[in-house]
Amino acid sequence: MHLHVNGRAREVHAPGHASLLTVLREQLALTGTKEGCGHGECGACTVLVDGRPEYACLTLVGAVDDAKITTIEGLGSPAAPHPLQIAFAALDATQCGFCTPGQVVSAAALLAQNANPSEAEIREAMVGNLCRCGTYPKIIAAILAVARGEYGALPEGAR
Amino acid sequence: MARARKGRRFITTTVEVEGREEVKVVEMPAFDVAPWGDDAALTIVGQRAPRVDALEKTTGRARYTADIARPGMLHAVLVRAHAAAGVATVDASVARAMRGVLDVITADEVAGQLASGGAKLFERTIRYSGQPVAAVCAETLGAARAAAAAVRVSVAPAPFVVTYDASVAPGAPSVKGSGSNLALNSPLVESRGDIAAGLAKAQVTVSLTVRTPCALHSALEPHGAVAEWEGDRLVVWESTQGVFRVRANLAAAFRLPHTHVRVLCDFMGGGFGAKNAAGPHTYAAAFLARRLQLPVRCLVDREGEQLDTGNRPASLQRITLGARRDGRLTAIRCEAEIPLGVMGWEGGPAKIYHELYSCPNVHTTEAFALVNTSAMQAFRAPGHAEGAFGLERAMDLLARKLGMDPVALRVKNFAKKDEEKQRPWSGNGLLRCYEEGARRFGWSERRAALAGGDARAAVARDARVSRGASASLAREAVVDGRRVRRGIGVAAQCWGTGGGPPAYALVRLNADGTATVLTGTQDLGTGARTVFAQVAAEALGMTLAQVRCVIGDTERLPYTGNSWGSMTTPSVAPAVRMAAEDARAQLFEAAAEMLGVAPESLSASAGTIRSSATDQTMTYAAVAKKLGEVCIIGRGSRGPNVPKTGIFSFGAQFAEVEVDVDTGVVRVLRIVAAHDCGRVLNPTLAESQLEGGILQGLGYALFEERVLDASLGLPLNPSLHDYKVPTMVDAPVIEAFCVGGADATANHVGARGLAEPPIIPTAPAIANAVADALGAEPLEIPLTPWRMLGLAPR
Ligand code: FES
Ligand code: FES
Repeated sequence: MHLHVNGRAREVHAPGHASLLTVLREQLALTGTKEGCGHGECGACTVLVDGRPEYACLTLVGAVDDAKITTIEGLGSPAAPHPLQIAFAALDATQCGFCTPGQVVSAAALLAQNANPSEAEIREAMVGNLCRCGTYPKIIAAILAVARGEYGALPEGAR
Repeated sequence: MARARKGRRFITTTVEVEGREEVKVVEMPAFDVAPWGDDAALTIVGQRAPRVDALEKTTGRARYTADIARPGMLHAVLVRAHAAAGVATVDASVARAMRGVLDVITADEVAGQLASGGAKLFERTIRYSGQPVAAVCAETLGAARAAAAAVRVSVAPAPFVVTYDASVAPGAPSVKGSGSNLALNSPLVESRGDIAAGLAKAQVTVSLTVRTPCALHSALEPHGAVAEWEGDRLVVWESTQGVFRVRANLAAAFRLPHTHVRVLCDFMGGGFGAKNAAGPHTYAAAFLARRLQLPVRCLVDREGEQLDTGNRPASLQRITLGARRDGRLTAIRCEAEIPLGVMGWEGGPAKIYHELYSCPNVHTTEAFALVNTSAMQAFRAPGHAEGAFGLERAMDLLARKLGMDPVALRVKNFAKKDEEKQRPWSGNGLLRCYEEGARRFGWSERRAALAGGDARAAVARDARVSRGASASLAREAVVDGRRVRRGIGVAAQCWGTGGGPPAYALVRLNADGTATVLTGTQDLGTGARTVFAQVAAEALGMTLAQVRCVIGDTERLPYTGNSWGSMTTPSVAPAVRMAAEDARAQLFEAAAEMLGVAPESLSASAGTIRSSATDQTMTYAAVAKKLGEVCIIGRGSRGPNVPKTGIFSFGAQFAEVEVDVDTGVVRVLRIVAAHDCGRVLNPTLAESQLEGGILQGLGYALFEERVLDASLGLPLNPSLHDYKVPTMVDAPVIEAFCVGGADATANHVGARGLAEPPIIPTAPAIANAVADALGAEPLEIPLTPWRMLGLAPR
């Protein structure tokens, strides 16, 4: 099966009912996408599927073989970070960091849809991403700062 | 500058961990380090530096235990029994025959092969629901999960107890199999003064009974381990709060010398007290890896995480406070009952009753009962979070009965010293916390407005976003069509945060003039790695970018203890500073030789050494280059704390809530939190810790409870869907800050711990605000809608 991940065509060997999360992590070594629950409860596994935020743990690979998938690694790297990745780091919107990739991906999806979200809209959009360390206030601040353009222009659309 | 210490190298002293004292022989540091007092000119410590590993985390490059993949690695999954008590029979025949399955281990395969903690791996006797009975090992995670689901576990049921009352009832089944269910020398009695006399002297008394729920740590990263044998040496990656403890556990279980076990933990996704030792997943991974001669990864799944990796046990507290009419406490009494689980330790609610307030007569009892539920584990401020709910609710009732401002009542009973142990505090900024917190919250104005009753609702609507103290506040309002009542509350906190020995660090100067800090600690998300780099950079006179801190490796790094008891910073930071001072002194000797000056004339900042004698300068890089491969290693150790001194952190939190009178839903609008932890090494990271503790406290107050079916003995909500932790929508406006400066008595860095304190006062502050809003007394958390609707008005 072929998947289109982070701008590249990737060949994977998995039954169509395998979870996208497992395939990303175990076959493509894209371990930035985390498993916090495996059941759509925590959001740690959030990836973009054609720009929409999806729980990779609940997504079957067979259902997304013709979609464009973007993981946290596809948004940016330490050498060339996405504005949200800079802002989350600069404003301490990460503690243990385990929820962080999912948070950043959800935030990217939100900003792609709504370039200027209100605080209430941010809370609504991010409600599916749990953080047990309690970074919520800092995440809200980071998203607002990126929306204000303080961390550079957002890249065009999701890859 | 370093001075060699005279006198004995090893001394016997008392070390405190989470309120418990242990007598230990500790090493005195090789030289004295002058304390960084408030007047120390620090340029890196105390700054808002971003986490040194922040970009790794935000870009998904940080590698956690589950991200470790070894060549040929197999996947193991634990299988659990879902019954409270009985004898398990495991039928793995179907699982063994499934595709990709290499092995299934049960009590039969493991029996007699592991010692110590490992010997518990797979007992046939089931003592709680969620107990692991087998592990399946397969080529892929998917195959292992599928096979685990195909293992049939049947339990021949036996009688069980899951509540305190049932556990201590005459004729109750024994949780251990024989003997009484009362545990840990119950009842534990602690007393000072004469409680009867104190109550007799009281002009006003309040009595109440409160209940707190069993709460689950719920770190977002579940427990997990990757095990690999290199010949007869075992290497384990573990998500843990204590790499050295896991090493000791594994060495004991597999009967190996410590030279043959290496435990690693670079990034870890939260612990909160649940990850302090090796667990069944660790032993299973290592055991399977040895049997199959291949690396094995064993991750606990979310259900297992919620079922069997620890909890804060429930409590019942019967409280009586006595006071004079002016508010001075004459008596504090608490009798607590704690259903502990199948195991646990004395982290009960009593201690804070002895510590927080000045009162001559205090008497507490704690009865711990074993029950057929999974074992407790320390959960962020174990005991104090529960005890604070009881004590601070009681103080609220007392204030009302006395007609006193709850803040004034607390100020009146401020403890000028540690009355439990009759010793001075190293520092105590609680009065400033009350003052500064109340000011920023607008406590007096809000109290007055709420007492007035009918300030305009329109003004109240802004309260949620108002960080200032000026907005008026109506008791009743209509917000977005909902009828709400508003209230405010306060609660205070104390927690022993001194840290102590043993903790060691090395600072190695590299040939390019950079430095590496080596210390075998772990960063749970606290920012330990960052603050230790800051401390080293400061002491070395380098920039933060020139210093890298390496942690989490038992083979290559010096010992530090578990990251528990809010003690990583106060224990390890002084060792790091000392190692850096030692390395700097050595480098200065080399530079002095090169510059032809006395080492005493040298100082350094931002990586440049300067001589005050000749005004010559030389960079660290230049000195290092001239030295070539000369290896300069600084060594630091944590000395003992000053004797007979209470080293505590303090805080006060103020909450503003609105309760929907039709649905009973409680919304927390705002928390103002003022804490004192001595010197703050990095204000941004400190705020993050405070916010995190407050949000966990908010969950404890409003949502979190492990629900048990008492008739079946089964937990009903082992998922993050049914065990609700706060989401972003639940997060209030939080204004959290630290008051107070360096605590040079606590240690030479001046910092006390901060990790656990913020969870302690949040739930009572919220409940006190709800009491204010509703004119009724919530005595049980979580403050669920149905409980709120059932509250009888005062
Ligand atoms: S791992 Fe997918 S939602 Fe939790
Ligand atoms: S940063 Fe730890 S769970 Fe969010």
